[in-house]
Amino acid sequence: MAQRKEGAREKATAGKAGGAIGAVMVVGGGVGGIQASLELANLGYKVYLIDSSPSLGGVMGMLDKTFPTNECSMCILSPKMVEVASNQNIEVITLADVISVEGQAGNFTVRLRIRPRYVDTEKCTGCGDCTAKCPSKVPDPYNAGLSKTRCIRVPFPQAVPGAAVIDPEACLWLTKEKCGNCLKVCQADAIDFDQKEREETLRVGAVIAAPGYKPFDASRKTEYGYGVLGNVLTSLEFERILGANGPTQGRVVRPTDGEEVEKLAFIQCVGSRDTTVGNGYCSSVCCMYATKQALIAIEHLPYIQPTIFFIDMRAYGKDFERYYNQASSRHGVRYVRGLISGIRERQRTKNPLLRYLDEEGCMHEEEFDLVVLSIGLEAPTGLAEGLELEANDYGFAQADSFLPVLSSRDGIFVCGAAGEPKDIPDTVTQATAAAGLASQQLHRARGSMLTHMEYPSERDVSGEEPRVGAVICRCGSNIGGFVDVPAVVDYARELPGVVFAEERLYACSQDAQEWIRQVVEEHGLNRLVVASCTPRTHQPLFRETLQSAGINKYLFEMANIREHCSWVHMREPELATRKAKYLVKMAVEKARRLEPLEEGESGVIPRALVIGGGVTGMNAALGLAGSGFQVYLVEKEDELGGLARNIHFSHDGEDVQDYLVGLVDRVEFEELITVFTSHRVRDVGGFVGQFKTLIADDEGHEAMLEHGAVIVATGGLQYQPTEYLFGEDPRVITQWDLERRLAEEDASLRDLERVVMIQCVGSREEERPYCSKVCCAEAVKNALALKEQAPDTEVYVLYRDVRTYGFREDLYREARERGVAFLRFEEELRPDVRGLWGDLQVRVPDANLGGETVVFNTDLVVLSTGILANPDNAELAPMLKVPRNADGFFLEAHMKLRPVDFATDGVFVCGLAHAPKSIEESVAQAAAAAARAESILSRGKIVTEGVVAVVDPERCSGCRVCVDLCPFKAVDFDEENRVAVVNSSLCKGCGTCTAACTTGASRLQGFRSDQIFEQIEAAASAWWD
Amino acid sequence: MKEYSYFPGCSQLSSAEEYGISAQEVSEALGFRLKALPDWNCCGASSAHMTNHLLSLALPGRNLVLARQEGRDLVVICAACYHNLKSAQMELLSDEAAAHRVEEIVGSDPRFEGRIVTLLDVLAEELGLDDMEGRVKSKLEGLRPVSYYGCLMARPRGIMEDDDPDNPAFMDRLLSVLGAEVKNWSYKTDCCGGSLSLTRPDIVASLVNRLFEAAEEAGANCMVTACPMCLANLEMRQSEKRLRYSLKHDMPVFFFTELMGLALGLEDVEDWFGRHLIDPRPLLAQAGLTR
Repeated sequence: MAQRKEGAREKATAGKAGGAIGAVMVVGGGVGGIQASLELANLGYKVYLIDSSPSLGGVMGMLDKTFPTNECSMCILSPKMVEVASNQNIEVITLADVISVEGQAGNFTVRLRIRPRYVDTEKCTGCGDCTAKCPSKVPDPYNAGLSKTRCIRVPFPQAVPGAAVIDPEACLWLTKEKCGNCLKVCQADAIDFDQKEREETLRVGAVIAAPGYKPFDASRKTEYGYGVLGNVLTSLEFERILGANGPTQGRVVRPTDGEEVEKLAFIQCVGSRDTTVGNGYCSSVCCMYATKQALIAIEHLPYIQPTIFFIDMRAYGKDFERYYNQASSRHGVRYVRGLISGIRERQRTKNPLLRYLDEEGCMHEEEFDLVVLSIGLEAPTGLAEGLELEANDYGFAQADSFLPVLSSRDGIFVCGAAGEPKDIPDTVTQATAAAGLASQQLHRARGSMLTHMEYPSERDVSGEEPRVGAVICRCGSNIGGFVDVPAVVDYARELPGVVFAEERLYACSQDAQEWIRQVVEEHGLNRLVVASCTPRTHQPLFRETLQSAGINKYLFEMANIREHCSWVHMREPELATRKAKYLVKMAVEKARRLEPLEEGESGVIPRALVIGGGVTGMNAALGLAGSGFQVYLVEKEDELGGLARNIHFSHDGEDVQDYLVGLVDRVEFEELITVFTSHRVRDVGGFVGQFKTLIADDEGHEAMLEHGAVIVATGGLQYQPTEYLFGEDPRVITQWDLERRLAEEDASLRDLERVVMIQCVGSREEERPYCSKVCCAEAVKNALALKEQAPDTEVYVLYRDVRTYGFREDLYREARERGVAFLRFEEELRPDVRGLWGDLQVRVPDANLGGETVVFNTDLVVLSTGILANPDNAELAPMLKVPRNADGFFLEAHMKLRPVDFATDGVFVCGLAHAPKSIEESVAQAAAAAARAESILSRGKIVTEGVVAVVDPERCSGCRVCVDLCPFKAVDFDEENRVAVVNSSLCKGCGTCTAACTTGASRLQGFRSDQIFEQIEAAASAWWD
Repeated sequence: MKEYSYFPGCSQLSSAEEYGISAQEVSEALGFRLKALPDWNCCGASSAHMTNHLLSLALPGRNLVLARQEGRDLVVICAACYHNLKSAQMELLSDEAAAHRVEEIVGSDPRFEGRIVTLLDVLAEELGLDDMEGRVKSKLEGLRPVSYYGCLMARPRGIMEDDDPDNPAFMDRLLSVLGAEVKNWSYKTDCCGGSLSLTRPDIVASLVNRLFEAAEEAGANCMVTACPMCLANLEMRQSEKRLRYSLKHDMPVFFFTELMGLALGLEDVEDWFGRHLIDPRPLLAQAGLTR
């Protein structure tokens, strides 16, 4: 993160090239904004990342866990925040709001209003001394107001910037000119009460809006008594209660009496699917987050009995259905279909009382210990005012039908929940897509505004005796208050190899870096040890300092004497001092044995291969071509188009065939795209930057393609039903058949008296336990179109849950208003379709009528068939060294934060190859995959980390354990020499192979056995000193 | 003395006579006067809207004509009348055709543009609670009421002036100022059974007894309401021995105006209390609030 100095910025015009400015502003520092910023910096643009709060992190930073993997939210977000903080080309501006954006695509002038922080972020080290002395208590926004914090504080431990902030309304100095404790205790002199609100103008080529969403204000649903009843919380508050770093340290207790919760209720759709509060849409994420919260609650307290009151369980995303099934069948989460109309409270116990109607129509009154309201997502503020974007009826950014990242203003892109409620992976996908689209507009100015660090050439230290310098940090009073720092310095000075040891108040401050550089020179140091805080946040800084002093940056070692010592041993200062000493000794012993490491480089062929010529593949290819890269587009069929050839109109009324024709035209006219129809991939060799792929046509004519990246867009298939008389009775058809007839305005449709649609054909069943995601919206869309053409035709939809997430809910409501009837059936009691004396009869036990069987004679049965994984994936996966999930779809590197990546570098996935999804979601993923590929192709060369594994061929027994284990497919087996070989371009330095190697042939640079053993020795011996 | 138009409603002439009298006397004691609309008629009560929609507009419509002629804001003390008049006013002001239709029937323009308010609204605006505190002569110590608004004052959502339709709080604050120990509960706007009192006493009994159970659990020794129909149901049906509720709660129910009169030291409060089916005087005596 570049630090801001007022008035010291070079003029933005310096970054103009080809008329466009090579800088982008990202508005909003949640996961979407963070992702977009990192992508843009990777793609070669200067980024201004602004957030109206004092820290990055957004809502994701407040979450405890994420569905459907139950991973710790902060644990996966925090590394990204640190990456932003350490990236020189991302300038973070907090407490800032956009006043206006003027100009046009390529050249915008953005005016910002920046509120004062009253703390100098450059000087503040986040030590917390001020917080300890601040007398003014305020509700902690990070804990959703459930606990108190101090007026001056670092917003949360992982905050970026990790500097304190003062709440001006609660500050005694600012309101009454009293106190001033923070001024007195801050040893870094960072408190600055002279800061004023100011305006700043920045020039950028594009803007990415990622302002996230506004949580629904639960007190608007007065019947739930939020704010009145003590044991009714919102889901965001409950998330904090579940959090180990939350107000109750993860103990699931209720607010009124602190008692542990046993009976826990969730009420879904609070502020969603509710026209009485103006929110007709579905918030898309609440079903899954409630399921997650129920599971995590059980994890915390196994005797908790969670009940989720819901309308439809919308487990539509990848692996959501499994998660939901396991929650209900294996973990005992109780799902009750039916919403709660009001909450009463028992006065003695303060237990909430819920009345509900069960599926048999019986009324129940049930007492709970705690009720959680699953609040929906509302549109954020600032879209219309500052950014001047058009909004839809619900206030969300109006977006393009086929590519929802495009806003109403050219050059301004929208990602995340600001366009429509969505979950983290979809937000990350859109953020990446937005970065890619911005790059398409600005690629001629790529790199023009980047800061490149110039480092002096490295001094050759080989043959020199180790000369270790040890810097011991006080971290204000964080370390210095508990550890006897001078004693540690004296101790360090006496250690073998140490020629210099001194303490600093803050080793991480800017002036300390300059001091370290001088010390290295003056004392001829060739190794550096800093004993301070965590390498997670600070190792990059010190490594860079060492590099700028002309020493190889891998000759650095860190001892964490704060998190691992002073913070956890506050009450035993003497023992803490002793521990700090041996932590330093361990670091020094390792440092003495460090060797300079080299970062490898390999070339990149600036071309991509896209496998699959459907809508997804074509969009990916066009995206890359738009940024100036050549693309090979390989399609196994003899024409482009894929599955979309069967879709005629989108749910918001766009003509899909028109769009498809336009797309094919653009692909065929694009000079940078070479299309190979009727070709299949036969073999893939090489690795990131330098792939060699063999393709062949049906007659066996082969071609070898050389390229730097691969995008997998192999699409999916439609399930071919064998049930419900399909194929036996011509009156049983699929939605595609119906859609074609609707598109042709087939007159015979008008003669139909009754049409019955059956949902979940081939989906959500034992063999394919996943939801195909698109069928509900498709059925509702076609039902409405049919009602339009044949108003008198009765339409019945037999469903299990109507999963019209997001704005699709409007269609569902419209369909009901137009008289389409929805009948629910249970998985085990499916409808029965039979021919009876020439009639087509459907019998279905209606679960909403207590299982009463309803019998129809119908003219047409329309099956909503699911989406299957492309069987070709099985063949392709081993060639590309990428995995698939149990359903045959490709498995991405990380469900939440790397939705289009594979663990294998240089290979990306999008569209139905990844999971069932709609056209617009596929197109967004295509744009994201193109952006990810572009980040490789635009680099010119791939620089690899110095910390990589190497295999000593003399010692390798050729057992191949490492080949199988490597999660990044970086280890190959050299058949000729019968030994394992590590491809350092792919190696991430994780050490898995080294640990598994039976002969000790595999070695991880920087973590040699002797280095580790000496550290252990040092740790043990320190106790005898 | 500031004057308001006043719609008494039928029950103030019969079962809830003490409500009408206490409302008028309390108002005058506080410095404003309620002037009954001359020649007012029934608002349609709980039957007109189920009979004929036009009737449910025309009956209150005629009263709105009178209010329009009087030209003052209209105070309605009965929750059901308030609901009917307010709903009719909203419809007549927004639907021109409906207004014309009603005008044809009642002979004059029913579009009353003044405000229709409850007495609680007037108290909140005219007086404010701080001012009220100074006027209290005998504090209602020993009374532990729960406030019961009933369903009609707050619904449909949006007709209530300022308060939260599900958790209204003004009456609670008012009773606290009068010195009562108001108990918290979450049944303030639950239904008492309304007009089913005579046709389906079983339903009313179950609803009413549910309310009393909750009030007892909350630690209350009386209930306070602003609706004559609620009071009638609460008093009549709380000990339906012939139904499954053999439990006799015997919990007195007051109109809030009665307790205001008591706290303000008005003369004839004893007469009002004598009219109740559940005699509140033993409770008041126990609390030392009788003279």
